[in-house]
Amino acid sequence: MALLEVENLRTYFYTRGGVVRAVDNVSFTLEQGETMGIVGESGSGKSVTCYSLLGLIPRPPGKIVSGSALFGGVDLLNCPKEQLRRIQGKRISMIFQDPMTSLNPYMRVSDQLVEPLLVHDKMSRSQALTRAIASLEEVGIQDAANRINLYPHQFSGGMRQRVMIAMALISRPEILIADEPTTALDVTVQAQILELIRQRQKDLGTAVIFITHDLGVVASFCNRVNVMYAGRIVESAPTDEIFARPMHPYNASLQQSIPALHKKGQALFTIPGLPPDLTIEFRGCPFASRCAHAGEICKEQDPALKQIVPGHKTSCIRFQRGEIADVRIKNFVSAV
Amino acid sequence: MSIFLELENLKTHFPIYRGTIFRRQIGSVKAVDGVNLQVRKGEILGLVGESGCGKSTLARTIVQLIPTTQGAVILEGRNLSEISRAAVRAERVNFQMIFQDPYASLNPRMTVYDTLAEAIQTRQQIDKKLLLEKVGRLMRTVGLPANQMRRYPHEFSGGQRQRIAIARALAPEPKLIIADEPVSALDVSIQSQILNLIARLCREMQLTMIFISHDISVVKYISDRIAVMYLGRLVELGPATEVVEKPLHPYTKALVSAIPIPDPQVERRRQRIILQGDPPSPMSPPVGCAFHPRCPYAIAACKAQRPELEQKESNRFAACIRVGEI
Repeated sequence: MALLEVENLRTYFYTRGGVVRAVDNVSFTLEQGETMGIVGESGSGKSVTCYSLLGLIPRPPGKIVSGSALFGGVDLLNCPKEQLRRIQGKRISMIFQDPMTSLNPYMRVSDQLVEPLLVHDKMSRSQALTRAIASLEEVGIQDAANRINLYPHQFSGGMRQRVMIAMALISRPEILIADEPTTALDVTVQAQILELIRQRQKDLGTAVIFITHDLGVVASFCNRVNVMYAGRIVESAPTDEIFARPMHPYNASLQQSIPALHKKGQALFTIPGLPPDLTIEFRGCPFASRCAHAGEICKEQDPALKQIVPGHKTSCIRFQRGEIADVRIKNFVSAV
Repeated sequence: MSIFLELENLKTHFPIYRGTIFRRQIGSVKAVDGVNLQVRKGEILGLVGESGCGKSTLARTIVQLIPTTQGAVILEGRNLSEISRAAVRAERVNFQMIFQDPYASLNPRMTVYDTLAEAIQTRQQIDKKLLLEKVGRLMRTVGLPANQMRRYPHEFSGGQRQRIAIARALAPEPKLIIADEPVSALDVSIQSQILNLIARLCREMQLTMIFISHDISVVKYISDRIAVMYLGRLVELGPATEVVEKPLHPYTKALVSAIPIPDPQVERRRQRIILQGDPPSPMSPPVGCAFHPRCPYAIAACKAQRPELEQKESNRFAACIRVGEI
């Protein structure tokens, strides 16, 4: 049985400008110990998906309109608050993008680290402190016994992210949700942090949901990837497949527009247009207006994620019908 | 090609004070600490380095937004660090900047027309009709419809705003453009549009540009030469492709190897150098080579003396005493 099973999740925001369908019918499963990536551009709903699971959506304006998320027999979306609180930070924990704003600047690191142990495990303070020091050592902070008494601002960016990881893993969770944990860091520090998460994951057997916009990080870090666009998952496959055999034009276009894979002087591929306004209800595929392969049917039929080969799903209607074999765009005129 | 901009042993230090009544200087942050660099006319020079290495301070010193502590910025034979502030102001139409965040760098109370017209008029006062025409032409150059010139910045998307910022930089017909992380705040698909635009403009208008970024793959794509900065000093300089594909300095090697490549098969095969620790504080840089505490190849001699940027191959410079050995 899967560790986490999310089905038909819809999270809407009721704002003055209209209803924003931030997450629209998202389903996925997470297996024990695996690393699943969620990639997408800003506004694609990747963070809102994960916030919904942990009950972190501000309501109002947010509302989980439908869906279920089964985790060990408990539906995270429809269970009593008390039950959710026993899971949050204990069995599922989260690290955020910016470690400076997600650590409390008024609290010593020690106080923040022991909190989950005091709350969830009912440990004594001294016991918890010993555990906290050990956990800091495990994430590579030297002289942990002294440095645990410092405040967050006394650490560098990379060190703060290490503290965040120590805090998230201190209760040995079954799922770790990492929301762009390395985006605010320098590349050399990013490499350290990714290595650290990988190492700790191996030690503890934690499953990781890794949210990012960086396809490079996905390639090096995840076993399986979900590509999100306009609040929906448009393609889901093992990492190798996502890159070697893309089955959705959006995924292919995204890969084609990365400078790293281009020769010098060659114009970069660009996706024309903008992502759709999610306050307006539309029919058909959300990517149709920007897609080089789009046909009439794409604007009329609502797409659904379907499995093409075992483990590889796409929501591209024309690919499902076998009308296009390769979603990569061969001859293109780049917009400037 | 002729040399257009020259930096001679450029230093920018920020003093640190302590005390209110008996205020005294207790040290200084050596943000830029002895940079020698020549930029040729029509060239795009990429400047890479991690946060805090002094890339932005270097850029701001070049345009004299921050006064130089020592050394010289020589633009077309004139030393900008020696002329008066008024003269620098007059000179500034010749160099423009593009900033990272297009949400913060445009005035929200000014329409696109106001913003661009003001920038055009820093070079010359022209009458309204011609101004209108020029603004329209500028907008089309950067790929925006001219009929949107009466709109305010909030009516545009992030990518479009960056186009406006680029148009503003082009407006006074500058000789040098400094782009400080112009695509870092943008999504991948928008980033490629802006990079294409910058590449096209530079080609068509023969612009000289310093392109600052922490993303070495973006810099490799866009620039002719790359300068790598570490703790206020240049550690490597050379043609873009060569620097990335065959780096000489161990820091450049680590930087290149730390970038995740969007291809899982390449990722699995390649060897990664993971540097230990964070970059040291520019307040008290390590003695000798500033990189030696994190360098996997450091030997005793690296702690003794600070290596200068030296020519190692034709066109290629590095500041490392062990280049031949590693």
